[in-house]
Amino acid sequence: MDPMDETKDRHAMRSRRYRIGATAIAVAAAVALLVWVGGNDTVMGSAQTGLARITSGILNLLGHRTVVSGNTVSSGLFGITVVTACTGLFTTGLFLIAVLAYPTGWRSKLLGAGLGIGGIFALNVIRLVSLYYIGVHLPGFLDSAHQLIWQSVLIVFAVALWLLWAGRWTYAPREA
Amino acid sequence: MRRAKRSTTKPTRWTTELARFVAVFLGVMALLAGLWSFLAPTYSTVVTWLARPLFRLFEAPNVTVLDARGAEIWIYRIVGPGEIAPFTWFDRYTFFAVIPLLALLVATPGLGWRRRLVKTGLGIGALVAAHTAYLIASVELSYVAIGLMPVGAFVARTLDVWQVGVRILWEAAPVAIWIALTLLAWKRLLRKLKTERRDEVPSGDALRVSG
Repeated sequence: MDPMDETKDRHAMRSRRYRIGATAIAVAAAVALLVWVGGNDTVMGSAQTGLARITSGILNLLGHRTVVSGNTVSSGLFGITVVTACTGLFTTGLFLIAVLAYPTGWRSKLLGAGLGIGGIFALNVIRLVSLYYIGVHLPGFLDSAHQLIWQSVLIVFAVALWLLWAGRWTYAPREA
Repeated sequence: MRRAKRSTTKPTRWTTELARFVAVFLGVMALLAGLWSFLAPTYSTVVTWLARPLFRLFEAPNVTVLDARGAEIWIYRIVGPGEIAPFTWFDRYTFFAVIPLLALLVATPGLGWRRRLVKTGLGIGALVAAHTAYLIASVELSYVAIGLMPVGAFVARTLDVWQVGVRILWEAAPVAIWIALTLLAWKRLLRKLKTERRDEVPSGDALRVSG
């Protein structure tokens, strides 16, 4: 083997090991952050209240008269309470971990993170608004919509968004 | 010109592949979600059957009594000789994740039927194990949270973290299992896509030169 080729191979191997190590550390840090955020009442409380305010703002734009009290959006007709599971935090966190774990450049990862955070947040707001409407107009359907339909839609949305990103906006690193 | 070709031809195939994946997922989901009320009691019975001996293994003395009532699982606590009191319950949606998992496995492209069936069996087995672990962990952590089970200072201090961790594992289980089972199929598909895209670049150059 040509000594130059051997040196190149060694460099490529070292670079690959470095990338795998950096990715593993980033993923571990993201998991730790996700668990910490999920268990932090102040952060989660702010997220719940913020989401409740946004949902209420959209509902009011759509002509409803809702008010926010803590993490509860209510009107004379119906009320929804935004709890930890409703924030989309876990779905977003898992999406970000999948983005970090995928072997591609940091610019692509940043794009993936932006897509995931924005996309899942937007869908979650749509979910909350729709659940309010379902609660007002089809209360008998609320349980199924909340637990069955939206749970599945969120899963397939996150998975499809990740696959779309991985297939369209990533590239294989040079050494791979 | 190269950019125009890149964004109009190959990515469209990927988008089509994804649209097919989403459509099959939603179709299968709709079908299976309708069957969930019939499947849930059996699933809950299996989880209860698996969890009972494990509770005996983890608890000394064993204080938890499980009762599968239709699709729900009720947890009772032994409070005295021959006396039990209801402690908590898991509703009929607790184990619903088996349906999205099945839909994900059916919708995954690039798998033959035999392989798909094997993976479905493995996936359900893994999810039943994850759900059994979730049931046990969440009950035991609830005991700790309300002071019914003494634990060390470290666990007591980090109880929130454990509870959130269990919750994340429960939520992530179907997707994590699906990823583990279909990673190779997706890798193959993504590699093929990237190879096609890479091969496309010289042809774009050629077009530019000839044009």
